[in-house]
Amino acid sequence: MLRKFSMQTLFLSAVFSSLALSNTVAAQEVNAQRLYNMALAATCANCHGTMGVSVPGVTVPMINQLSASVMYERLMDYKTGKSEGTIMPQLAKGYTDEQLKIIASVLGKKN
Amino acid sequence: MNRRHFLGQSAAAAGLAFGLNGKASASALKSAHIVVVGAGYGGATAAKYLRLLSDNTAQVTLIEPHPQFISCPMSNLVVGGSRQLGELSVSYNGLVKNHGIKMIKDRVDSIDREKKTVKLASGQTVKYDKLVLSPGIGLMMDRIEGLEAANKAGVTLQAWNAGPETVALHKQIAGMNDGGVYALSIPLAPYRCPPGPYERVCQVANYLKKNKPKSKVLVLDANQDVTSKGKLFKEAWAKMYPGIIEYMPEHNVMAVDAKTRTLKFEVQEDIKAEVLNILPPMRAGSLVVNAGLADSNARWSNVNFLNFESVAAKDIHIIGDSIQVAPAMPKSGHMANQHAKVTAAAIIAELSGFAVNPQPVLTNTCYSFVNDTEVVHVASVHQYVPAEKTFKTVPGSGGLSPAPTALEGTYAWGWAKNIWADSLV
Repeated sequence: MLRKFSMQTLFLSAVFSSLALSNTVAAQEVNAQRLYNMALAATCANCHGTMGVSVPGVTVPMINQLSASVMYERLMDYKTGKSEGTIMPQLAKGYTDEQLKIIASVLGKKN
Repeated sequence: MNRRHFLGQSAAAAGLAFGLNGKASASALKSAHIVVVGAGYGGATAAKYLRLLSDNTAQVTLIEPHPQFISCPMSNLVVGGSRQLGELSVSYNGLVKNHGIKMIKDRVDSIDREKKTVKLASGQTVKYDKLVLSPGIGLMMDRIEGLEAANKAGVTLQAWNAGPETVALHKQIAGMNDGGVYALSIPLAPYRCPPGPYERVCQVANYLKKNKPKSKVLVLDANQDVTSKGKLFKEAWAKMYPGIIEYMPEHNVMAVDAKTRTLKFEVQEDIKAEVLNILPPMRAGSLVVNAGLADSNARWSNVNFLNFESVAAKDIHIIGDSIQVAPAMPKSGHMANQHAKVTAAAIIAELSGFAVNPQPVLTNTCYSFVNDTEVVHVASVHQYVPAEKTFKTVPGSGGLSPAPTALEGTYAWGWAKNIWADSLV
């Protein structure tokens, strides 16, 4: 179901994107999902910069150099209490695991 | 497929450029003219993210009368004299040059909902298909007898929109006699920036402690208690500013006498002060009020929280401090930036023929300086609850700092620089 973010829909979005489908229901769902994912990840940008790219020299921890998988692990560690911090343990607890996975997939290092 | 492989694939799919491929919908998105009014934390972010999330295909015009952005967050440090207004100012050039947003330096005077146009102070008319209003707050001067006259006489100041008044207030405080009294009055909630007044008195007391140690700070709060970070502020006042800050709850200012610099209350005795920083009750920005869109107690705008569209007017989206908030949702710059992103995504979805995101998320992060270096925060996460058609904070999430630290002081500046860039660059 489109409304539920899942690993499967994310994977499908990658496949459909590479095929560059246009003007089909499937493509629309993919584009919609991608839009939702971008907007979800943008909730982090206030502190960590647009698309996770911070202003040079600021003291907010840099996240744009983390791979998606490492970022997801860090976020889950904040959520479960394994990692301490000031704000992140409080914020991570407000997101579902699926949402944290999407955020990591959008903001994680691309190469 | 292992997790690393999966994440790599989806990350590539969700990269910065994500063209919207549907042919019919892409043309609807391209032909629509989206007009954003107000280039503060809400409006600037909306304009930028309308471009960013549409892969730069949406036509966006941003209308703002001021020559540059000046941040309200951090401006209490200017009131206290430890920072300059220039450090909180950001050019609008980034929105134009980096994102292709058309900017008009003017004020919107009125909205014609039938013709879908806005009329500017210059007389120019601008047509819109989608309108995003982020006009901030309006100050209800007439709720306090004598306030307008006292303002005109230069006896009272608000400095609740950062700018020349912020500097003027610092000058008044710097000009106080040692032994003088600075009074800040706080209206009943909701008002812009719940912890802002309590941070302000910290900054004023920090200045007076160093420069005029016999002086006093009176906090005249119409509310029953400190409305945000109460324990943290009270601990800071007791520890850092004993004998300087006096907190007086349930003091609702009814009138001000400019000649004698006297405040009158509902029941309590009159209070005189040398510097009078009087915050009247607040409501939505005047543009929203005059357009008949302040449909909640004639003060705030009711919006559909999935797309921030006014419940009273189709194709008019209202974000930031002007809205009737969801439970526990503060009127803050950070929150306005978050409203803007949900709104931008929803407008693009609608113009592209998609359903809007059925489960948007908002966060809030707010840092307050208790002196010029040490900071406390409050943070929250707000998930949309479809069954209740509102945002609610997630149980177990969010919270406060345990105590002020200099580390969070550096994070506060990092937050400021990154949110200014996220909204404006």
